[in-house]
Amino acid sequence: MNKKLLSIATAIIGLLFFSTQVSAAEEGGPAPDFTLPDLVAGGTDFTLSDLRGKTVYLDFWASWCAPCLRSLPLYNELYLKYRDQGLEIIGVNIDNPVEDGLEFLEDTPLDFKTPSDVNGIVPEMYSILGMPTSFLIAPDGTITMVHVGFRDGDLEIVESAIVDLLAKN
Amino acid sequence: MRRNSRFWLLLISCGLITACTPVQPWERGYLAKNEMAWQPDGLEAALNKHIFFSKEASSGGSSAAGGGCGCN
Repeated sequence: MNKKLLSIATAIIGLLFFSTQVSAAEEGGPAPDFTLPDLVAGGTDFTLSDLRGKTVYLDFWASWCAPCLRSLPLYNELYLKYRDQGLEIIGVNIDNPVEDGLEFLEDTPLDFKTPSDVNGIVPEMYSILGMPTSFLIAPDGTITMVHVGFRDGDLEIVESAIVDLLAKN
Repeated sequence: MRRNSRFWLLLISCGLITACTPVQPWERGYLAKNEMAWQPDGLEAALNKHIFFSKEASSGGSSAAGGGCGCN
């Protein structure tokens, strides 16, 4: 009797633990689609699948994340350099309240789109492991690179991956 | 009977533990807020520390030696 009870209890606890696990957006897998409002009031809503056919660099950032703030002006330079070749950079801001993100944009204007996700639904959907995390998405919607963090020399890695992907398409 | 209730208590506790989840990377903004810091204002904390160790006149009372004159 006790053994049976114990095995049932183990099964219940096991289920409770594993039910919280979600599948991550991985290299080689499809990029989950989403629609988000723009961070800037009056901006248009953004839907990822609208960019099908383009090379997309999707980045998650927040004003409280120092490496994110370092990377964004550099990503803006990349965007200006490669946008004519079909590159789109999307910087999903996850600040709550949004004013924190807007304050940063006032000091550092960015040319690429910055949708806002105050509830953190999209980073959860992508199961990001750290901040910042970015995803390079091929024109067919496949994730070709996942990049976590931003350190010295990372820009070169990101740029070469973008250039390779742009050359293929 | 008592043994059984202990078992159920343990089982329920184990179930409740599953509600404890790590702070996700995108939720760390809450931890970065000023009110979450041990010492939100560094300058004020340094001043308070200085006053404390001067008034207490204790050597090493606040991690540094002092005679209580408030001059160091």
